[in-house]
Amino acid sequence: MRDSIVLYVNGERREIRGASVFQPLATYLRDELGLTGTKVVCSEGDCGSCTVLLGRPRSASIEYRSLCSCVQFVFQADGCHVVTVEGLGSNGGLDPVQEALVQHHGTQCGFCTPGIVMSIHALLETDPILSESRLRQGLVGNLCRCTGYDPIVRAGLQIETGRTQRMNQLFNSSAMLAELALARVQHVFVESAGKAFFKPTAIADAVHFKSTHPDCVIISGGTDLGVQVNKGVREIKTTLSTAALPELSSLSISDNEIVAGANLSISELEAAVTDAIPEYAAMIARFGSPQIRNVATLGGNIANASPIGDTMPALFVLHAQVELSGAKGSRWIDMNDFYIGYKQTVAASDELISRVSIPRLGSGEVLRLYKVSKRQDLDISTFSAAFWLKLSGRTIQDIRIAYGGVAERIVRMPNTEAHLKGRELSVEAFESAGEKALSEISPISDVRGAAEYRNLLAANILRKLYYDLDADRKQASTA
Amino acid sequence: MPSVGKDIPNDSAAGHVSGRSVFLNDVSPARNELLVDFLGSPVAHGRIRSIDLSAASDLPGVVALLTHKDIPGRNRFGSILQDEHLLADDTVDYIGDPIVLIAAKSRAAIDAARKAVLLDIEELPPILSIDDAIAAESYIGTQQVIERGDAAVALAHSEHRLSGALITGGQEHFYFESQTAIAEPDECGRITVHSSTQHPTETQQVVAEILGVDFNHVIVICKRMGGAFGGKESQAAAPAAMAALAAVKTGRTCRIALSKDDDMRCTGKRHPFQSSWSVGFDSSGRITALSLELFANTGCACDVSPAILERALLHSDNAYYLPNFRVTGRLCRTNLPSNTAFRGFGGPQGVVNIENIIEEIALHLGKDALDVRQVNCYGIDDRNITPYGQRVDNNTLPKLLSQLRQSSGYDLRQQEIAKFNVLSPTKVRGLSMTAVKFGISFTNKTLNQANALVNIYTDGSILISTGGTEMGQGLNTRLRQIVADELGVEFNDVIVAPTSTDKNNNTSPTAASSGTDLNGAAAVDACRTLRERLAEFAAPLLADPKTGLAPAPMQLRFENGVVVNSLRPEQSITFRELVIQAYKARINLGERGFYATPGITYDRDTGRGTPFFYFTNGVAASEVEIDRFTGDLKVRRVDVIIDAGQCINPGIDRGQLSGGFMQGLGWVTTEELRYSARGELLTHSPTTYKIPNIGDLPEIFNLGFLENTDHAISLLRSKALGEPPLLLAISVWTAAKQAVFSVNPAAASGLSLPATGEALLLAMEKSRSRPATAR
Repeated sequence: MRDSIVLYVNGERREIRGASVFQPLATYLRDELGLTGTKVVCSEGDCGSCTVLLGRPRSASIEYRSLCSCVQFVFQADGCHVVTVEGLGSNGGLDPVQEALVQHHGTQCGFCTPGIVMSIHALLETDPILSESRLRQGLVGNLCRCTGYDPIVRAGLQIETGRTQRMNQLFNSSAMLAELALARVQHVFVESAGKAFFKPTAIADAVHFKSTHPDCVIISGGTDLGVQVNKGVREIKTTLSTAALPELSSLSISDNEIVAGANLSISELEAAVTDAIPEYAAMIARFGSPQIRNVATLGGNIANASPIGDTMPALFVLHAQVELSGAKGSRWIDMNDFYIGYKQTVAASDELISRVSIPRLGSGEVLRLYKVSKRQDLDISTFSAAFWLKLSGRTIQDIRIAYGGVAERIVRMPNTEAHLKGRELSVEAFESAGEKALSEISPISDVRGAAEYRNLLAANILRKLYYDLDADRKQASTA
Repeated sequence: MPSVGKDIPNDSAAGHVSGRSVFLNDVSPARNELLVDFLGSPVAHGRIRSIDLSAASDLPGVVALLTHKDIPGRNRFGSILQDEHLLADDTVDYIGDPIVLIAAKSRAAIDAARKAVLLDIEELPPILSIDDAIAAESYIGTQQVIERGDAAVALAHSEHRLSGALITGGQEHFYFESQTAIAEPDECGRITVHSSTQHPTETQQVVAEILGVDFNHVIVICKRMGGAFGGKESQAAAPAAMAALAAVKTGRTCRIALSKDDDMRCTGKRHPFQSSWSVGFDSSGRITALSLELFANTGCACDVSPAILERALLHSDNAYYLPNFRVTGRLCRTNLPSNTAFRGFGGPQGVVNIENIIEEIALHLGKDALDVRQVNCYGIDDRNITPYGQRVDNNTLPKLLSQLRQSSGYDLRQQEIAKFNVLSPTKVRGLSMTAVKFGISFTNKTLNQANALVNIYTDGSILISTGGTEMGQGLNTRLRQIVADELGVEFNDVIVAPTSTDKNNNTSPTAASSGTDLNGAAAVDACRTLRERLAEFAAPLLADPKTGLAPAPMQLRFENGVVVNSLRPEQSITFRELVIQAYKARINLGERGFYATPGITYDRDTGRGTPFFYFTNGVAASEVEIDRFTGDLKVRRVDVIIDAGQCINPGIDRGQLSGGFMQGLGWVTTEELRYSARGELLTHSPTTYKIPNIGDLPEIFNLGFLENTDHAISLLRSKALGEPPLLLAISVWTAAKQAVFSVNPAAASGLSLPATGEALLLAMEKSRSRPATAR
């Protein structure tokens, strides 16, 4: 068992003990290593100024993804290679990404700029060709208050991508790869100043730890826990990481279902469902930002039990199953039975979410997902809706509806479903269904929107669904 | 090769992209340095009964707990009225109003101290809204008025009359670098304060007054800011004074760096406004009379609000001639953080009213709003006097409107949109063009001055410093370009020193879009003096060896690093050689230049004068698409043409254009400040306060500059460009209003700013709105 955190920063090995282990990664980089190019603005993963690349060892190389280092604890980076803006370029010179931003006015005050640079590099890690749409999607997690983004896009399109180096070229070290690969699968326990971090490699050890430390907090992506700790809402003493549990990283895609380990990042989930359930992939693409999706996990989003979690309404209407693993073994629970109140689930104190089974769509089945938020991207839903329909011609043979943001948890809409079941597709049917939907919900007014607005959305989204289905049918008939 | 006019990157850009640029909170802590923060009021209005520091003072790591009693100087400041306190001494006036200053060894100790201080506060009823303030007659200052003709009589005689009201929301600056300062005391009772400030001089004065020392005992330095947008014009002073007070009390270097949440909660924002208006017009849409009443939510203190309100009044005409006009304005004192300068400085709140009124006129008459704009636009030879009596010179507005009407394909697109809106059951579109005529100059005449120091070193390199501060807008780059050309050297031969009050005294804030105009002109003044002096010295050196005849100094040109006789180019000396010779001959190689904007005057009591040196004009056409079922708004296309005179740096100017527009886009669409019933800001971080992100960038964004060579009066024929582009985003809001009108005509007039998805949906659904309790 290792009692320290081992990671690399810009190619240099760091072994970390003591209180430093429990700080946000951004704080460690800035205050302990003096890497002040990484800026902290919001401390909640919502501006991207603290973006760094996190390299996780895969078989023969390291896979680099962007993340917000302000909502990542140092211990989460165990076994990883962190690349900051200081790690780029060579011999004190600028790299092509940096050169283009300089030449084409992609920076003004400069505070967001290191984060922008790192996010563009994250794009180049997956594909060296940069298009305007890739830049617009890839920089969703990086706010800028000065440039209005247009100069950044223009600069991005001028990058001499032929000269850029991927991180595996820039930091080509077999010794680093070997050590990180080993570190990733090691049991880790660090204790200091009243705080403890445990990263087991076997699920049985995790379950045992949880039963003996009932107050411990399970962490996977940590993007929500990090915010709560940073904002003083919550203090975490003992943390149990699921990162090294192999079962939780599994993924299998069959004709009927996708079985995803709970530790699958939202980005990995998006990739897994892109072909299998494209509508779900499109919704997931609006989950947070690339930096958040790269570390946030499916299991974490489910366990967090928020009434507006973006992965979940679809799981309700698809009848996804959640696997809970505990001292007595494992069990599968239908997503519709998983929550029992605001942020409360059926999981026993010794249980953790290990896998999620997501059924694929059968013939004649349609999935439609909606998210309404104040800002289109990088925003938390005000209202969300999922519809699963089985259509035969114009007849709705079966329908399932789940709404988010209208109650203390995501809710199914049984009366509205009954109202539409067996009906023909028509404006009238969906308008009257809207009336029915209002009778099933009692949303609250909060900072994201008034109850009146949510009521309108709850009714209108059914009309929108009708027109979208209608457009689908017209498209199908002309195809 | 001249530097001016070239597309030179921001001179800090290489540092920014590599992470090497040092912002204040990137500076390594000094020995024994302390962190400083404060405990603010938990209530919006109250009277302090007692403050118990005993438990907090025993906490480990807590070094000093300071209250108003520890202030050696005067606990009152403010640039217009001295009505702000650094630390509350009697009443608390908003949630977060600082009461106890904490200096500690760690963030954890500050957090613990904040919890351990016991406050006993008698809660008083707060005033939070403009309506509450009006009801309670809670005002700051007196009513401001600008008037021409007789609006009331002309209204009564107008062919058509309309009236209405408009609510515009506030806006958080959301500069990325929160308020930050580091104060270093010395052994002589002096102090150096590094501050992220747009106004080093005011920061210096407030620090000195709080500490009870002379101004010359305080040096304020600002190397750069991570954004400011007006939010660090007056409001950087209090954090700097807090760091300075703690530094003096502890004898240690003290640093304050507000968290983003605290910064958003406790600092001022753009003023929310409410207006009511009555307009008279003829059948062509030409305005015959306008009466407008403005109310601004000022927050708890005066700050620079009277000047902001004044600018709102002075921009209520915008691009349009108003023959009979009366506008009044009042500042409403409320229990919120004191609202402050924000890019546009009241201009946007004034302009949005007239642009809204023109939309109303067009909707009422069934006319195209652009036709109404053109019929009301200021004329070239007549109809060209503003209500406050200033003539609109070099008026490019008619040309801008007609040019963009054509280049944006406005008329054809309006037809297509009309068709689309009939056919689409799911989406609705709107297209609107608005204008801006932004007055350039501080309306406070005194502030229209600047000084600049230019030092030439003996190797020919040049260092300049001014009172202008760099916040990303590219001032330093432009100053280098200007000075390089004035002295005929390369851009890279000139650098700009960090702004500091010991090099440049009594400076004005870098604000009102005037940074380059004022500081650049002062630098030019210094350069010309130096050039004359050097030419005087150089002329004999260039004498013809045979005849001994020297050129006249005024014949010498400074260009390409050489000083040359323009009549006989073979007679020349390199700048570097000239400088070293001049030094040996004991010629002064440093100069301080000065500039005061000529010809401006404004009488506040009569509302008459020429407050502006010139106007920066522009137009924008924006097309939006709104989802009829959700209210989601998408900006499909924006076309902008701006008259910026001759660009000093086209790339930097373009960045001001796109950046300003997008900031305005946020103000009119997604940026919504929400408060609890007790006056607590609920949207205090980017999770809930939504500034535009890259996804909000218009799908098509065409930015263009008008070719204007006739603007001859200001520095290098350039025009100030910091603020005007922000106002062009009003076209997005008017486009949204048109879209709402096409769905629900009755509700369009009620639309306020920002037009969030929620506001748009509620407006579109207003007539058929279902009650929330429908069962």
